[in-house]
Amino acid sequence: MFDDPRGPYLQPEELRATAGRFPFYWTRAAYSDGGGGGRFRRGGGSWSVDFPKSDQQFLIVIKRLMRLNAYDWENPVALSDPQLRKYPLIYMLEVGRMYMTDAEVEGLRGYMEAGGFVIVDDFWGARAWDNFLWNMRRVFPDKTIVDIGLDHPVYSAYYQIEEVIQVPAFGNTVQLTECGGCYPQVKGMYDDDGRLMMMINFNTDLGDAWEWAEQPSYPLEFSTYAYQMGANMITYAMTH
Amino acid sequence: MQGIFEFLFKYRRLVFEQGDFAFAAPSSVRTWLVIAGLIAAGAVATYTIARGKSSVADRGVMAGLRVALIAVLVFCLMQPSLTLSTVVPQQNFVGILMDDSRSMQLTDDDGTVRNSFFADAFTPEQSPLIQELSERFVLRFFRFSDVSRRIDGLEEMTFNGTHTNLANALDAARSELSGVPLSGLVMITDGADTGERPLTEAIVPLQAAGIPVFTVGLGDDSLEPDIELGRVELPRSALQGSTLMVDVVVTQNGFSPGSTVPLIIEDDTRILAEESVELGPDGEPVVTRIGIELQEPGARRVTFRIPGQPDERVERNNARNAWIDVTDEAEKILYFEGEPRWEVKFMRRAVAEDDNLQLVLLQRTAESKFLRLEVSDSTELEFGFPTTREELYRYRALVLGSVEASFFTHDQLQMIADFVSERGGGLLFLGGLSAFAEGGWAGTPVEEVMPVGLGTPTGEEGFFSEVDVTPTPAGFAHPAVQLDAEPEDLQARWEALPPLTIVNPLDKSDVRPGATVLLEGLRNDGGIQVVLAYQRYGRGTSIALTAQDTWLWQMHSDVSLEDQSHESFWKQMLRWLSDGVPDAVVATAAEEEVEPGEAIALTASIRDSTFLEVNDATVIATITSPSGVVQELPLEWTVQEDGEYSAPFRPAELGDYEIQISAERLGGQLGSDVTYLHAAPSDREFFGAARRTQLLQRIADDTGGQFYTRDDVLDLPEDITISGAGVTLVDELDLWDMPVLFLLMLLFMGAEWGYRRIRGLV
Repeated sequence: MFDDPRGPYLQPEELRATAGRFPFYWTRAAYSDGGGGGRFRRGGGSWSVDFPKSDQQFLIVIKRLMRLNAYDWENPVALSDPQLRKYPLIYMLEVGRMYMTDAEVEGLRGYMEAGGFVIVDDFWGARAWDNFLWNMRRVFPDKTIVDIGLDHPVYSAYYQIEEVIQVPAFGNTVQLTECGGCYPQVKGMYDDDGRLMMMINFNTDLGDAWEWAEQPSYPLEFSTYAYQMGANMITYAMTH
Repeated sequence: MQGIFEFLFKYRRLVFEQGDFAFAAPSSVRTWLVIAGLIAAGAVATYTIARGKSSVADRGVMAGLRVALIAVLVFCLMQPSLTLSTVVPQQNFVGILMDDSRSMQLTDDDGTVRNSFFADAFTPEQSPLIQELSERFVLRFFRFSDVSRRIDGLEEMTFNGTHTNLANALDAARSELSGVPLSGLVMITDGADTGERPLTEAIVPLQAAGIPVFTVGLGDDSLEPDIELGRVELPRSALQGSTLMVDVVVTQNGFSPGSTVPLIIEDDTRILAEESVELGPDGEPVVTRIGIELQEPGARRVTFRIPGQPDERVERNNARNAWIDVTDEAEKILYFEGEPRWEVKFMRRAVAEDDNLQLVLLQRTAESKFLRLEVSDSTELEFGFPTTREELYRYRALVLGSVEASFFTHDQLQMIADFVSERGGGLLFLGGLSAFAEGGWAGTPVEEVMPVGLGTPTGEEGFFSEVDVTPTPAGFAHPAVQLDAEPEDLQARWEALPPLTIVNPLDKSDVRPGATVLLEGLRNDGGIQVVLAYQRYGRGTSIALTAQDTWLWQMHSDVSLEDQSHESFWKQMLRWLSDGVPDAVVATAAEEEVEPGEAIALTASIRDSTFLEVNDATVIATITSPSGVVQELPLEWTVQEDGEYSAPFRPAELGDYEIQISAERLGGQLGSDVTYLHAAPSDREFFGAARRTQLLQRIADDTGGQFYTRDDVLDLPEDITISGAGVTLVDELDLWDMPVLFLLMLLFMGAEWGYRRIRGLV
């Protein structure tokens, strides 16, 4: 037995009531998907892939790398929940199967317009992209998604990142990609004042690298990059 | 009353006040008392022995009246008298000080011009006053306004002085007449003192020399109907785009309370604001707060004026002017944050479009690892938080986020305290897990700077509460928390904002005595949380914002996307924090408006890059006149104050002067600053131009003199005569023949006779 150094786990009601007690909450956005699994529940729907181990492990490591005074446990919040606005950064993955309700579209639009920052991760291939794009056009019909080049300050916000790496899912470290011939891309969406409000990690799976970093079979190179990107995205989002 | 008193007692009340009472009869009082006692006993005995029809009570009343009559008689026989020191005629001097200022041109309620008194009183052929004074004293005349000068006749009076300097006038006359026997000074004025010196400085030497001052008050006690604008104060400079909240004090007499008049604020080119001001009760100053937006950069003279009202007595006291330099610079503010927090992002966003604020961010992201944003060059803050005063004092303001005190060395902590007290910078403390007591700041040199005192930190569990933030009465009037709302909407705007969270409990009892609370809120433990408080500390200002997440005013789902409260709040906060922070060189003109030819002092405060006062600098004022003529004027170290340099300047032209003061030492520039001056005929004398009776009464009382108006000024010669000052002789005034004694005797005799008639005893 060993004592868990993490702080206490708060039940959902208590977590809601004390939002703001910690300067930072690693918040996962819960959304509806095409399989009808959009209900907010553990393990239900594509939003919850890798949940909660990926979130917990990410927090353990990132708090060792950064001076981040964060709540130690996962914090899933539905896009349609007004409580979402109390967490200015959300993590959203597997958006290739996303199928947002109108309320979720409204919630995400308001969140981003108010200043919220969205990290998107773990979706692969043209079909997933098209689905994500379709959903995002419901949120912002007129906004375009553009590439974020390596000269962007996000790559130097904490670590100096020189190259965008394709991070494979656990168990896929040989083939790397989950779609034929696709390469990793980092894209973004900016608001009307030119401020980055969404960072999209496409054809890559940072979440798996966070989740399985402790596994000897998972190459350190990928988890190192994934944590570096995590630290940079958080630092950038919290200062810009 | 004075006439009745003088009829009954033969002399005026003042004679009794000045004289010493005595009995002039040669024998001792005791002898006379024995004689009186024997006579009284005899009188009483006659009533006791002679019984007749009278009762005991009748005999008692009659004996009493008879004894009273005898007592008055004995009092007269004892030859009561007053011993007075009276001046020897023509052996003493009297100085007559005449107000020569512009307020003497005002017309009083009865239609007489104030200065007509001088012609009436001091024309020898017509005035008994001057005749009596001349018979008793040698007279010396002075005129006074901004300067005091001996004159030979009324023809030298101009009534055009721009000041009424009573203290200087008394000093000058005392000094001029110091070698002669002086019976007193007569000061004839409305008393509307506009001098800077306290009157006590002039009164104390007069008391010491035993020189009474007799004051003659001219003018009405109150000018009605009239509206007057109080002094308006603007900061020396402000950032372009700032909104200034200016307090304008309006006093009225004779107009209906509650009625409104327009107040116009304008500069040379346009009207900046126009407000309706509600007048208060007669004589009571009413403060009106007006917001002025400063859009155009550059120095300007702002005029506040109320148009003249129908039948108003004095219209020249309806306007005030003040200089302000609207700057288009980027004020550099250092925000040091001890950990990644959302306040950073949203504060930066809130002021991103404000070109006049450069918010330099230094954020600790890991131990000894810092993120720098908005730095001017790659070397700025290269090694983290500044370690030298030169480095820190480059900033005009400092924001300390959630960072524990132990992060800093003791020298850095002292430097932060000195940043406020010596450099005059603004320091803002933000709430957070490592702020205030929870950050170990208690007992550090910086704690002294905070507007709140720190107690013991909350325990391991920590403290957490939401608070709905509301402005205090002081907050409603403070520009930093106006949220760009109209005054009538402000309360609703604050009520609509979502609650913030607190992790540093600070109660009102923690507020330092000199601090002001602007925002507060009710915590869930029932305590009133101080959310925003500030205090002046040394040359600077320190502010405590104890909430940790004002970003909720931007992000919260209850706040509409169009709401600009968060942006307004931070723009106003950071501008407040950096506004008015002094540079190393500060130029000041003693007054912003002067008459051409009138001397004023130009002063400069000179400090080096560590803001230590410099006494060996070369300081030059480069003055550009309205016509473009440039002259250089060296300023000298005043010696009384470290780092203070001064020189007198006398503008010759009408118009605006630009005065640039530059300082250098050992060939190196210390800095420069610009101030402005407007030369024009002054309206200063028309403010507070009613007669200051209390002030004049005080001068007279403090020096042993008397106060007069036009109505009783003829008593003046005799009163000076018995003042006891100068070359005097002792005069004995008989009192035995006072009519009141004769009337008393008649009263007692008549009363006894009447009593007898009523009681049938005759």
